Amino acid sequence: MKVLAAGVVPLLLVLHWKHGAGSPLPITPVNATCATRHPCHSNLMNQIKNQLAQLNSSAKALFILYYTAQGEPFPNNLDKLCSPNVTDFPPFHANGTEKARLVELYRIIAYLGASLGNITRDQKVLNPSAHSLHSKLNATADVMRGLLSNVLCRLCSKYHVAHVDVAYGPDTSGKDVFQKKKLGCQLLGKYKQVIAVVAQAF
Amino acid sequence: MGGSRWIHQDNISCYLEGVQIHGEQLDRSVTAFELKNVSFIRKKGTNVFCKMEQGGVLGGIVLFVSKVLQEPKDFSCETQDLKTLTCTWDPGSDTGLTKQPSQSYTLFESFSGKRTLCKHRNWCNWQVAQDSQETYNFTLLAENYLRKRSVSILFNLTQRVHPMTPYNLFPKNVGATNATMTWKVHSIGNNSTLLCQLELLTEEKVIQQHNVSIKVNGEYLLSELEPDTEYVARVRCAYTKHFWKWSEFISQKFNTAEAAPSEAPDVWRNMKMVSGHPTVSLFWKPLSKVHANGKILFYNVTVENLDKPSRLEVLSIPAPARSTELTLDQCSYQIHVTAHNSVGPSPASVIVVSGDPGNEEVEKGRVNGTEDGFSVSWKPQSGDATGYVVEWCDGPQDLPCVLQWKNLGPNTTSTVISSGAFRPGVRYNFRIYGISTKRMAHLLEKKAGYLEELAPSDNPQVVMSNLTSHSFTLSWKDYSTESQPGFIQGYHVYLKPKAGEQCHQAFEKTVLPEDSVCCKYTIDNPEQKTFVVENLQPESVYEFFVTPYTSVGEGPLDAFTKVTTPDEYSHILIRIILPMVFCVLIVMIICYLKSQWLKEKCYPDIPDPYKSSVLSLIKSKENPHLTIMNVNDCVPDAIEVINKPEGSKIQFLGTRKSLTETEFTKPAYLYLLPTEKNYSGPGPCICFENFTYNQAASDFASCGHFPVTPQAPPPQLGPLTSPENLLKALEQNYMNSLGEIPAGEANLNYVSQLASPTSGDKDSLPTNPPEPALCSEYKMQMAIPLGLASAPPRENSSLSSTTLLGQGEHCS
Repeated sequence: MKVLAAGVVPLLLVLHWKHGAGSPLPITPVNATCATRHPCHSNLMNQIKNQLAQLNSSAKALFILYYTAQGEPFPNNLDKLCSPNVTDFPPFHANGTEKARLVELYRIIAYLGASLGNITRDQKVLNPSAHSLHSKLNATADVMRGLLSNVLCRLCSKYHVAHVDVAYGPDTSGKDVFQKKKLGCQLLGKYKQVIAVVAQAF
Repeated sequence: MGGSRWIHQDNISCYLEGVQIHGEQLDRSVTAFELKNVSFIRKKGTNVFCKMEQGGVLGGIVLFVSKVLQEPKDFSCETQDLKTLTCTWDPGSDTGLTKQPSQSYTLFESFSGKRTLCKHRNWCNWQVAQDSQETYNFTLLAENYLRKRSVSILFNLTQRVHPMTPYNLFPKNVGATNATMTWKVHSIGNNSTLLCQLELLTEEKVIQQHNVSIKVNGEYLLSELEPDTEYVARVRCAYTKHFWKWSEFISQKFNTAEAAPSEAPDVWRNMKMVSGHPTVSLFWKPLSKVHANGKILFYNVTVENLDKPSRLEVLSIPAPARSTELTLDQCSYQIHVTAHNSVGPSPASVIVVSGDPGNEEVEKGRVNGTEDGFSVSWKPQSGDATGYVVEWCDGPQDLPCVLQWKNLGPNTTSTVISSGAFRPGVRYNFRIYGISTKRMAHLLEKKAGYLEELAPSDNPQVVMSNLTSHSFTLSWKDYSTESQPGFIQGYHVYLKPKAGEQCHQAFEKTVLPEDSVCCKYTIDNPEQKTFVVENLQPESVYEFFVTPYTSVGEGPLDAFTKVTTPDEYSHILIRIILPMVFCVLIVMIICYLKSQWLKEKCYPDIPDPYKSSVLSLIKSKENPHLTIMNVNDCVPDAIEVINKPEGSKIQFLGTRKSLTETEFTKPAYLYLLPTEKNYSGPGPCICFENFTYNQAASDFASCGHFPVTPQAPPPQLGPLTSPENLLKALEQNYMNSLGEIPAGEANLNYVSQLASPTSGDKDSLPTNPPEPALCSEYKMQMAIPLGLASAPPRENSSLSSTTLLGQGEHCS
């Protein structure tokens, strides 16, 4: 638990505090009113689409950098060690309404943001000299933070959605090193797969 | 040792760093792997995984191999102030991994039982309690997740004193030769004494070392220092009670003060005449730092006239000048040179010079160069010599002289002259002077030498002269033997003879580098700069080449010069015949230009009677008044008219045919002067032109009258009743062409004013020549070949006279 608090909670706080509202959104009943501190960007949906496109275009390179940095047997056993079998990954329905899609998008990005935080923390210890990997992880996390803020702003301003329930993946801090490497590879493989669908849906 | 808990299948294999490892199957689902001597690969671990042969990876682990924790080395403790102990050690390799931190160190003291966790991996501080034990037993414990190591020491506190570095080191009262250094130290305990070591360095070398015992403040006087010199003083201290270690040094630079120069400058002179005045150039060498004792600011040159002692001249030359020039007269001068810095002058250098340049004709010799320089020796000077000076120029002769000299003691007769400026192939001239007791220098000897002789770099310009059919002379008088890179010992004359010709016995057959054969003659006298190549064949091509040689070799091989010997007799042609022909041509030209003059002088048409020898013949004692008649006094008295038969033509010019075949009628005479018989008073005049006296025929019409006797006119002429008709006839005859005289016309023949017409003999002289009338004027004389009358014409004169009387021509 301590590790969870040390690793994930600050990230969640930053995600909720840094952009958009300016103050943490309260976990309030569903029917609470929604207000943003600053007005949303005028071309918000286009910005969301661009951010999705940016994530989609860099997902494959991130995946390759990751499994290469883990060393053998990862590069030559992707199907076994890096298959996108993440059972608790939030779902996405491409044919839903915009509101539904935005809500699902929000959950996915929140999940991915937390998972990316775990991967970044672990790789700093396991592969401290893999500078390209760390740079790519940081850049992806930055875009996700911005996307999350835009999605929330859109939900709040148009659909008066103030709160979205999110779930996160398991914390990897207590796992052994090989398992950490494997879970990170699977997550990034899943991310590569999902982001293409999501970017296509918007 | 490791284990696998996955579901076991027969075709599962496991790998470490790409190498398959084999384990021991304990049961169906457990396999144990024992790994021995696993070496450290990387800090981030190594993947160990297992996979199925038909499938993929089942699982894996990451194996971390760390370095073995080492026992700390060089564990030691010391104190600087007896209050804090500092323990240090060498930790060895760091055993830290990503999964585990580096090893930790703990310091434990057994007598007090205290321990402290060290914050640093290689040193640790321990506070010494006041009045605590003096003896300490420390144990240093190193441990990590896997291992522990420890080391111990036992010591007495006072035996581990390492003082702190002294401070405030300063020089005080710095003079030219001494300085006082002061410094301070940190106190140790109560009134502890420290032993301090003071060192003096110059140019990073310790020149003085002194030990000083102090408690807090140190002071020491350094002496025997050099003026104007930079020094470094440094101090360190140690615990006097129990020496353990010196403290670190503290250093301080300082400079000693200047002092007056301690040595006189080395001075030399060069005498020369400039515009008739003796001029001395003074040179001096800068004082070394040891003798300068400071920065030399200027030099004083004091010139004292020994013949006029009251006259003293002082020149101040600012440094860094090293020479000056003085114009003197014929007197002797004593020159003092002193160097001055900020403190004062140096001792003086004294030399004496006189206006007399001295004897330059001294013995000349040679010196040999060695690796060290030139070994110069000379004969000792007879009499008292206070020393010798060897002088030379550092550079080649073609560059301005950089004068160098070396002073030597009175008992010296040789020395080695060394200079970094000496170069091979350069001639250096040395002059050895003796210094008398009066401090005057006298030239003793001259020497010349090469540090290393080289072969000549160029060949002389050879002039070929006196070429004959059997020899020619070669000369190279302008070749300077003194400006060569070695002593010229002589010359080689190479001669390529014509094909098939052997070398003369004085020549030596030799083969050139390009495999051509030629003849070589060696001249072993360098002053001989001419050579006669003899015994050559005429009309042959020879090639020659002259090169000097030194002890090292000869000059470069250049192109040969070709020469062709002339024909054997061509010189006769050139020397004799050509001048003759030339002279003849000159004479001919002169003769052509002066032909008329020659003619008149040598063979005139009408000889000048005054130049003839007849006068001497006719003069006699019987008739001393006999002389050559003046033509102007001659009055023609008769004209012989010769009638020619009709049909005959007479060729004058060029004919040598005798005219005797032509029949002539008996000439008639036309008397011009009245005679006793025929004179009837003045009648019409007739003019004649005398060509001998250069009167133009055009004056014919303007001539005066000439009395003409009307008697016995020639019948062919017709009745000459008037002078005009006669004149016409005369004119007509005068104007006859050279070719012929028309037949049937009469010719006038001047007979002679002295001839007697009655006798018909024109050669006889009349005894009483008639007096010419006033109007008589003899102007024209017609000269016709005498052969017409009596004899064949003379070839030269008559023909030429006739030639001159051509139609339309005038005698000149």
